[in-house]
Amino acid sequence: MKRYRIWAVLLVVILMGAVVAGCGGSQPSAGEETAKEEGKEPAEGEPKSQYPERPIEFVVPFGAGGGSDILARSIAKVIQDHNLIDQPLMVVNKPGGSGSVGYSYLAEKKGDPYYIGTVSSSFYTAPLLGKSPVSYRDFTPVAGLAMDTYGLFVRSDSRFDSLQEILDEVKANPKSISVGGTSGTSDDAVLTFLLEEKAGVDFTYVPFESGGEVMTALLGGHVDISWANPGEALSQIEAGKARVLAVASKERLPSLPDVPTLIEEGVDVSLAQFRGVVMPKDVPEDAVKYMEEALRKMSETEDWKTGYIEKNMITARFLNSEEFGKAIVELSNMYEQVFAELSK
Amino acid sequence: MGTFENLLYGFSVALSVTNVLYCLLGVVLGTIIGALPGLGPSAGLAILLPLTFGSNPTTSIIMLAGIYYGAMYGGAITSILINTPGDSAAVMTTLDGYPMAQQGRAGPAMGMNVFASFIAGTIGILIFMYLAPPLAKVALSFGPPEYFALMVLGLTTLAGLTGESPLKGFISAVVGLIFAIVGVDLVTGLPRFSFGVMELYSGIDFIPVAMGVFGIAEILVTAEREVRIQMAKADLRFRKLLPSLADWMACRWPIIQGTITGFFIGMLPGAGATIASFISYGIAKSTSKEPQRFGRGAIEGIAAPEAANNSAAVGAFVPLLTLGVPGSASTAVLMGALMMFGLRPGPLLFERNPEFVWGLIASMYIGNAILVLVMLLFVPVFVRAVQVPRPILSSVVMVFILAGAYSLNNNMFDVWLTLLFGILGYFMKKLKYPGAPLILALVLGQLLENSLRQSLILSLGDPRIFFTRPISGTIMAIAIGATLYPVIKSVLKVLRSRTA
Repeated sequence: MKRYRIWAVLLVVILMGAVVAGCGGSQPSAGEETAKEEGKEPAEGEPKSQYPERPIEFVVPFGAGGGSDILARSIAKVIQDHNLIDQPLMVVNKPGGSGSVGYSYLAEKKGDPYYIGTVSSSFYTAPLLGKSPVSYRDFTPVAGLAMDTYGLFVRSDSRFDSLQEILDEVKANPKSISVGGTSGTSDDAVLTFLLEEKAGVDFTYVPFESGGEVMTALLGGHVDISWANPGEALSQIEAGKARVLAVASKERLPSLPDVPTLIEEGVDVSLAQFRGVVMPKDVPEDAVKYMEEALRKMSETEDWKTGYIEKNMITARFLNSEEFGKAIVELSNMYEQVFAELSK
Repeated sequence: MGTFENLLYGFSVALSVTNVLYCLLGVVLGTIIGALPGLGPSAGLAILLPLTFGSNPTTSIIMLAGIYYGAMYGGAITSILINTPGDSAAVMTTLDGYPMAQQGRAGPAMGMNVFASFIAGTIGILIFMYLAPPLAKVALSFGPPEYFALMVLGLTTLAGLTGESPLKGFISAVVGLIFAIVGVDLVTGLPRFSFGVMELYSGIDFIPVAMGVFGIAEILVTAEREVRIQMAKADLRFRKLLPSLADWMACRWPIIQGTITGFFIGMLPGAGATIASFISYGIAKSTSKEPQRFGRGAIEGIAAPEAANNSAAVGAFVPLLTLGVPGSASTAVLMGALMMFGLRPGPLLFERNPEFVWGLIASMYIGNAILVLVMLLFVPVFVRAVQVPRPILSSVVMVFILAGAYSLNNNMFDVWLTLLFGILGYFMKKLKYPGAPLILALVLGQLLENSLRQSLILSLGDPRIFFTRPISGTIMAIAIGATLYPVIKSVLKVLRSRTA
């Protein structure tokens, strides 16, 4: 009897695995079927007003509480409050592999307009670094919504008062100034590299796991300067713990009118993370138009302007599907060049 | 306003009917989330977070915080009863909790878990109330070299976890360190040992590993040999279910030690409750007069890590509320929640939103009190759970483990990973390789490598950075001392016996 028990349990394990795998496996095929049924039929001459007929899944390729998650949930909330789409948007987090797990999941739903997803900087960088099998070519751009730029921060009691002082010191003593940022291939690293290239200097770049760790290292005096999204560091600025010396946007930020841009400081560098929404490839044209229009209306509401844009200190910029598509190609090419230089 | 007046004000916020109800809801949900294997506090918070959108921020955060520290109570339940940690911070509780249950002392083990958690939680809140701002400065003084030194110290506690054969323990730890290497390299951004599998780019999460090596392996092993937990009928009387006076005497110092160690490690961003429980167990064992009892059902082996993980949960609020920096995966989710409510965690939160901060602190007192009542009420019920026929219990636990693994990232990959580590764990158990060193090394390994590389980048390659900075130098000295102590002791013994 006892000998069989292990086999009984193993069998249960395997069956359970098979059941769960079966459920997991059946999803994409169900998606394909629905894609055939609902995705393509309208394109063949059905009335255009039909989309959306069922809830839309809003894929966030990062965990709950992060920047992309806040974006998706804010969009879903404003759209729901203003009844801009007849069907609910269901936010689903698919984190892992710096976004690539979620992006691959979305790209698999080829032709199905009932899946949309958020876009942030790893959308461009992960495929270039060989970290994602899918790239912007596997998606349909829907709309660009906001630009989230970066600021150069120092501790409030730092000896530096301007970017120029930092550049002068690091020019005299190469590698003497440490810069904190998230990981070796993030926008923080790209900005540090661009700054080094354009100003002809050499920093010591220290990568950390998260923006929170970078801020702690800056406040604790373990790094001299650091990059952060202005919204992320707002509470430190207000409390007088940190100062921002320059921003990486093309023009000054309305929320920080006294802070010069890097360009004004004489270094021709600008970078912003373009946040927007994409759909899988080969979705019906009218579904893209419908979603683009809903997002445009949403971006004009007061709730969106105060509840998301102002609160997170980012710059609103609405781009339609076509414009956003162009911006995606431009950004991707820019990152490609930088990474080619970085790997030299 | 003094701290005490602030606290009274906080109670006036927290004691509203709605807030007390949400606090109750939060701690009960938290206990369940903690007790369900595979579903830890960070995953549980992420799942329940969307439910709170649109409601009052103070009420929501009272509930979310209740889930967080409630999970620290719940995690130990399954550790003790079925050798399956409910969450990662409860891994250490299996080492002595399960042997106690096998000896028919599941009641006192659970009771000590409740009381140690309550005492540590309450003391933790007091420390938080009076010392949060100065402690935040201490947390800031920890840079990469200090973290490295702390991780080295953590690894020295390995020696206390090796079980019967030190060699097998160290092999297990080295395997854990190798698994810690998997994933995208922080510095260069290149994937390592991921074999093109996307899901491995973010590294191997220790939750599937802990669930597999402890939970699934345990189910497989008990399936082949009938292990019935001996428990006489008389044992189920309520009084017998509580720790005895002798138990309390043994646990006095481990609880206090666990509370302080836990709070301190919990407030360091990046360290967290899991590492706190490991280090606290290590200290409790190495300072014990009878270290050989650990791992065979010593009640101190429950008291120390359970006290540590609860006060670490409170400690994690120090960087979150005073600096605006989340100290762990769970507090990162809480921070996301705060930001969605339009509250900006940071140095000004205490001034700008006193009703929020003090309401939260007061609610933690209330939550801890509710938890003690709820848990003590249910201890007899939980203890009876082990009398459920093993095949039924095992299948139910298996369902929860696999569902929990899926819920981590809403991805099947983690389910396969959990099953794979279950098979590894099964053979480790059969060959008597301890599982705890593997998990400790996996948890510490990632932080160890990152802090080592960050430190060396900062010092431009000079390893003296670990010894010349006062805090990291001190911790390194303690770690080296702890490693060499047994050697010195035996050398002294030999010398003494020669002279005698």
